[in-house]
Amino acid sequence: MIIKDLMFSRWIYPLLKKDKVTGFFAFMLIGSGLFAQSGIPELTPVTQTYVLQNVQIVVRPGQIISGGTVIIQDGLILAAGKEVAIPAHARKIKADSMFVYAGFIEGLSQSGIPRPEAASSAAGARTPGQGQQRPRVSDPWNPTYEEAGITPYVRVRDVFKADDKSIEEMRKLGFTAAQVFPIGKMLPGQASLISLGTGKNADELLLKENTGLIASFSPASGAFPSTIIGVISRLRELYKNAARLQEYQKNYNANPLSVNRPVADKCLEAFFPVLDGKVPLIFQAPDMKSVYRVQSLKNELKFGLHFADLKEGSYVADLLKAEGKPIIISLDLPKAAEEKKPATDSSKTIVVKDAEMEALKARTAEEMKRLEGQASKLAALGLPFSFSTVGVKATDIKETIRRMIKAGLTEDQALAALTTTPAAQLGVSNRFGTVEKGRAANLVVSDKSYFDEKSSVRYVFIDGKMFEYEGKPAPKAGGNTNAAGKGAEAPKVAGKWSYTIKAPGMNSEGVLTFKGSGNDLTGEWTSSQVPGSNPISNVSVDGNKLSFSSNISMGSRQVTLDFNLIIDGNSLSGTVGVGTFGTFDVSGAKIDGQ
Amino acid sequence: MFKILNILNLLFLVSFAHAQVTKGSLLIKNGTILTVTKGNMENTDLLVENGKITKIGKGLVAPTGTETIDATGKFIMPGIIDAHSHIGIDVVNEASRPSTADVWVGDALDPLDISVYRALAGGVTASHAMHGSANAIGGECETIKHRYGTLNPEEMRMEGAPRTIKFALGENPMRVHGEGNRIVPATRMGVEQVFRKGFEEAKAYMAAWETYEKEKGKNPAAVKPVYNRRHEAMAEILKGNIIIHCHSYRSDEILMLLNVCKDYQIKRLVFQHTNEGFKVAPELAAYGAMASVFADWWAYKFEVYYSTAYNAAILTKNGVVTSINSDSEEYIRHLYHEAAKTQRYGSLSDDEALALITINPAKQLGIDQRVGSIELGKDADIAIFEGHPLSVYAVPQYTIVDGVVRFNRSKDAADQRLQASATRAETGFFLHKEQHNHDRCLEGAYENTASFFGLERE
Repeated sequence: MIIKDLMFSRWIYPLLKKDKVTGFFAFMLIGSGLFAQSGIPELTPVTQTYVLQNVQIVVRPGQIISGGTVIIQDGLILAAGKEVAIPAHARKIKADSMFVYAGFIEGLSQSGIPRPEAASSAAGARTPGQGQQRPRVSDPWNPTYEEAGITPYVRVRDVFKADDKSIEEMRKLGFTAAQVFPIGKMLPGQASLISLGTGKNADELLLKENTGLIASFSPASGAFPSTIIGVISRLRELYKNAARLQEYQKNYNANPLSVNRPVADKCLEAFFPVLDGKVPLIFQAPDMKSVYRVQSLKNELKFGLHFADLKEGSYVADLLKAEGKPIIISLDLPKAAEEKKPATDSSKTIVVKDAEMEALKARTAEEMKRLEGQASKLAALGLPFSFSTVGVKATDIKETIRRMIKAGLTEDQALAALTTTPAAQLGVSNRFGTVEKGRAANLVVSDKSYFDEKSSVRYVFIDGKMFEYEGKPAPKAGGNTNAAGKGAEAPKVAGKWSYTIKAPGMNSEGVLTFKGSGNDLTGEWTSSQVPGSNPISNVSVDGNKLSFSSNISMGSRQVTLDFNLIIDGNSLSGTVGVGTFGTFDVSGAKIDGQ
Repeated sequence: MFKILNILNLLFLVSFAHAQVTKGSLLIKNGTILTVTKGNMENTDLLVENGKITKIGKGLVAPTGTETIDATGKFIMPGIIDAHSHIGIDVVNEASRPSTADVWVGDALDPLDISVYRALAGGVTASHAMHGSANAIGGECETIKHRYGTLNPEEMRMEGAPRTIKFALGENPMRVHGEGNRIVPATRMGVEQVFRKGFEEAKAYMAAWETYEKEKGKNPAAVKPVYNRRHEAMAEILKGNIIIHCHSYRSDEILMLLNVCKDYQIKRLVFQHTNEGFKVAPELAAYGAMASVFADWWAYKFEVYYSTAYNAAILTKNGVVTSINSDSEEYIRHLYHEAAKTQRYGSLSDDEALALITINPAKQLGIDQRVGSIELGKDADIAIFEGHPLSVYAVPQYTIVDGVVRFNRSKDAADQRLQASATRAETGFFLHKEQHNHDRCLEGAYENTASFFGLERE
């Protein structure tokens, strides 16, 4: 009986209650868990045929059918157009005058790949000659492949978690598939195209295995290669030795009696498809220097190449044009520096206009424009690109794309980067990327144009399976994640908070105490690392953002700590900048109210 | 601001040429030319065409439109060369094992490094971007030309310059590797063994390839040896294709490396720092080993106490090809002062002193056929000074690389960075204000001044 109720709920509940989709998702998981336990097979919904009537069908960038009808059946698009017969068993979806796009595809992503435990980075980077203990390496002369960050044999299906929350975060933005790769260093593993639908494991979601070998200039810590020059040297060596092993194996297989048996090597063998020209090296090259370096390496070793995670493409647009290789640009756009307001009574603060400072600020603004303008600059040169979400918060993605559009990218170009271009780069245009008959029913339905600031994704279809979402909620108290606190009631800061600062190899804990309200907050803090309590200054609350600073002495030096936190109800999270030592993650929770 | 935009515009024009080295033509009129190798010439013109020195003489004319510099009353010398620096590269040490002969700093050139521009402002046109001294055998280095303005790392290489590699003796490799890690080298003896082991492995490696090459003719299925970049680099040293530049201080260790090189018949050897070089100058000269030293920098650690400011002069007078280097992005801006110190400590002649920062470092890098003196056919790498470069009043005016003016004092803008941060306007180096704030004695002085003079309030 309970099971039946749950089954009912699984499909009907969201329609009746219009509850948050996370609730729906949680329900679903509970449901499938129960089925698994009781051994009853998962049942399909009553109908797998859906119809969206009177919608704006964005067939592909630049091609729109107004007042069209889309019919989805058995995971495929049965019809998309004007004059369409509607099957009797089709379930009508409330989508009148909404926009229907092909499901978005992440050009490069780590959705579904769990973050490694923080403890693994606790060893920290070793500064040579500073008397620090070298992290344990089995043999400095010959570190293992794993110690060296050389794991090109790792497949997404080995490390992917189908229930990772990142998948749902991307799905509700309209992403339906992603080129995912394992987390690692210089050669983290093989990328694969993964569906962002629901499934029990990676195999159920795998759309295309080994779409490329990921490469980057990330060094290992404490073992060779510990710098970019080590990485490049090692890559040369691996590449040439892979070619050697391939030839050796060929000779041996042709005539096993002629030579000794070659020793298998999973790392070198992972290069074989690259050597055969079947898959590219997808090289992460965020800055312009990396782009030049990747180009030099490609000229030397002659591998197939995709430029990935580009941020400074504006500087090297002509190079990219000349190369003509597939491009994946990063959605990791830095936020503009906020002008620091005078901390106290502004009438008492003297601000002297400094021509040099003004020039530096103008220069900084110029650089920001160049980063924001990367997409439009490449598009203007006719260079297609997809988007990488590596290292990007899901909640920032739409705003980042809007910033790129503001900097000159057209909406059609942005849509191409989300749909047709990644489909082409991944060789799956016959299945994904457009809203056409026979394509996979991967669709995004948005109540306004997707790129409109006020638009909300209302439905996402993946392989014909529907995910329903609410429209924009009205602003309310309590710190909504996407409203960034604008217009919301200020969170209650006053009181005591526990906090933890995570620094490599050392966690610092303590208590923050605030008094007062609004921008008249004062406070102090204690720490497990610093004796006594320390006064807090420059407290500023903007929406759910809380920032403050504090000066402490470390030996003979005065160090300023700059906290930038987000308050979400009774918890806080964010970062602290510790002088020139770096920036560390902070988390915490309210201990008592006021 | 206008200046900055102009620089940016210029920059984008330059960056169009991929790895195509930009070369210029210009006429320098009526200066005093210090050729270093062939004496001085007063009131003389110098013509540069397509990056090369093509004419030296009086009353030279250039095709119309050629950029002309009036050098009346100024001194024209070959561009200064620094045989030991770490500018223009993103990585100095790959400190993960006692030998990293397989790495090459030329893989991580940094055309954006502002230090390169500052070196130009000190008349330096080329430098030896070296691997650090953490390992007994560091990586290969790169001889770079200071073509500041390009964004393409490839364009910084001095095309055709010989390969060089960094070795290191003494305390650095011992501390970084041996001490506390229970591996060789924990002692100076161990450092020697790292070299000998490296060369022995290289010999075995060469032999394996030789065997394979012979075998290949008979058996097409012959198995190639495993490719090993570390052994390969060491083999290239044995073949004479890579010059060793060795970080050194103590004379006993200098003699040790001379013996190692003797045993392996390695001829091309330059000692860096060489603070006790004055003790073994005849031995260095006899072997043909060269020395690159500081003018008067020492006592920064135990093995560097026994030093003298006469070092460069003693080495020079003993016939050792000697240079004075910077090893620092600050010293590199006034190497001409460093060279002048040898006239106070050792009474070197003008030409001998200037050779320490021009033709001699060029010889040590194997590029003396191209640069290091003002001669017909050489690269137009030139520094023009107001005041004699060995005078304390010397001020560099123009620095020219391949005939292109890369530094012009009259057009030196406040912000010469090729790329700025998109998020932070503060860069420290550019902010006199920031620096004042760090100075506790002056804290608040800025605000007081503003208040006193009734400057703008906001």
